[in-house]
Amino acid sequence: MFLTNRRIGGLLLLAFCVTYAFLSQEIPLLPFQANVAFHARTMPEMLSVLGIGLSLAIIIFPSPKEFPEFAGKNWLTVLLFLALMSLYGLTIRPWGFILASSILLGGGYWILGERKIWLLLATSIPIAVAFWALMTLGLGVFIEPLPWFLRG
Amino acid sequence: MLDGILIGLSTALNPMNLIFVVAGCLVGTFIGMLPGLGPMSAIALMIPVAAGLDPAAGIILMAAVYYGAIFGGSTSSILINAPGVASTVATSFDGYPMAKKGKAGKALAIAAYSSFSGGVIGAILLLVAAPFLASVSLSFHSTDYFALMVLGLTAVAAFAGQGNVLKAMLMTVIGLMLSTVGTDQTQGIQRFTLGMIDLLDGVSFLLLVMATFALSEALMAILKPKNDADRLKEKEASANLGSMKITKEEVKELAPVVGRSSFLGFLIGVLPGAGATIASFLAYGTEQRLAGPEKGKEFGKGSIRGLSAPETANNAAATGSFVPLLTLGIPGSGTTAIMLGALIGYGIQPGPRLYIDQPEIFWSVIVSMWIGNIILLVLNLPLIPYIAKVLAIPARFLLPLILFFSLIGVYFVSFNTFDIQLMIIFAVAAVVLRLLDFPLAPMILGFILGGMMEENLRRALLINDDSWSFLWERELTLSILVIAGLTLFVPMLMPLYQKWRKGADSAGEGG
Repeated sequence: MFLTNRRIGGLLLLAFCVTYAFLSQEIPLLPFQANVAFHARTMPEMLSVLGIGLSLAIIIFPSPKEFPEFAGKNWLTVLLFLALMSLYGLTIRPWGFILASSILLGGGYWILGERKIWLLLATSIPIAVAFWALMTLGLGVFIEPLPWFLRG
Repeated sequence: MLDGILIGLSTALNPMNLIFVVAGCLVGTFIGMLPGLGPMSAIALMIPVAAGLDPAAGIILMAAVYYGAIFGGSTSSILINAPGVASTVATSFDGYPMAKKGKAGKALAIAAYSSFSGGVIGAILLLVAAPFLASVSLSFHSTDYFALMVLGLTAVAAFAGQGNVLKAMLMTVIGLMLSTVGTDQTQGIQRFTLGMIDLLDGVSFLLLVMATFALSEALMAILKPKNDADRLKEKEASANLGSMKITKEEVKELAPVVGRSSFLGFLIGVLPGAGATIASFLAYGTEQRLAGPEKGKEFGKGSIRGLSAPETANNAAATGSFVPLLTLGIPGSGTTAIMLGALIGYGIQPGPRLYIDQPEIFWSVIVSMWIGNIILLVLNLPLIPYIAKVLAIPARFLLPLILFFSLIGVYFVSFNTFDIQLMIIFAVAAVVLRLLDFPLAPMILGFILGGMMEENLRRALLINDDSWSFLWERELTLSILVIAGLTLFVPMLMPLYQKWRKGADSAGEGG
């Protein structure tokens, strides 16, 4: 089989390097820079050549016979965590730090198998409150603790 | 130099800074003990806290976390055969068999004393080597710095191990590419921002480190959970450690091992890119050869020499890796790369001028290493039975907490929710690359050095009237570039040479 772990990685990074190379040509240059040795595109162009060359070398050269293993891994759990973290990013401002953080922590415990409601609450809300207190009262960094509908 | 030591002592012994050393050692040990989380993640998690402190205190805190994390990594290597980091893999070769024989306490004590000795001897060597190298490097030009950065990056790739050189080089280039995102430092031109205002300042260093290490390691732990037998092992190991006493005979046997491994570890640590992992394996191999046939057989079955050598060497190397960081501004390892990023965040440019312009930072880092090592021995060793309880915290509580601290660590610095989403994207990419066995530390090193490399290259070309001839006309620049070429190509060509010699030998035998 051609598609070993190493080659899949090489292909993915080749795609990244080619995209980078295309985007490097969109960097605007000032008129007088056309003939100077170093301008804003110099480094990106050098890196594009290096990156594409190295990715191709990884793909072409012989590679150890290691193939991706999809079985036995918790893909769904990881996807749920990614969604939960993304939700945290979207809600931390409107819902406030304490509610959003408690949901992130409690939701995380729940996804990983904790089902006791009292334990979920007891290990998420106090941590969120304690952290908010440490930052706001201890270090003087203000973070909005409450959701939008409870703010004065 | 004496003045410097006194400045360092007065800064490091400041009560607040002492508290940071103690806290850093404890937190570092705690994080380092968690399988999967190493010094890089520990320091990354500390950056948001350190950002609120003055530079000397921040760096002291991070250095203490670094040592604590190495010590914590050794503990999990010994107790549950799960090294937190690559540099403590060699520790588990003999540490874990000792723990299985019921000598976990003794193994932990030997590891602690060896780490302490390695760290202290390393700090003494640093005290001598750093000012010397700093004074020499004052004569360096931007062309030499550019060449040094090339050397640093190629060395990382070269030490990546057989079969991994190309992968490490590519990851270094990816890191360099990521460093070009944002507004160009000198001309104010936007690059790779995709029209997004949030990317005008580029990718935050903290965000990248947190996403690729702390966040992706937690996601990997969720992806590949441990089985019940492993969890039971962790609980049992943390509950029963045995005696921590070391006999006089054992001390006599270990003294020369510690001495040799300290020097070896420090020298390897100074080399850019080599770091604590190579130092620990080299020290282990050296001691196995020197032990003689009788004692050599014990290696891998619970030899105290086999435990002490890598533990001493990895701590001495960790100290040695500060030499290029403090004197040349070039990190010798992934961990010191993160520290370099933090220093730059404070507006401090490490390099030969640091020694002259901000001696309090230079010396307080060195002095705090001694203090950190003493604290690890005096405070952490007796506390190990209690700290080891962390291994019994169920993963279902620990992993969401690590994710939470990683996310808010980045959010509290920028207060930009876009950073959380960007972090998730980088973490997913890091998980994919980890699954495909691509190294991430070279990427961080490339990212950190990218900006400086571009700036030095631009300056060198400006000084040389847009001519690239500086690459071969200035002897020092050329010498460094030749060394960089050799470091890169010799390990790549070695397998071909060995193959050729094997072929030649068998042809000779046949003829």
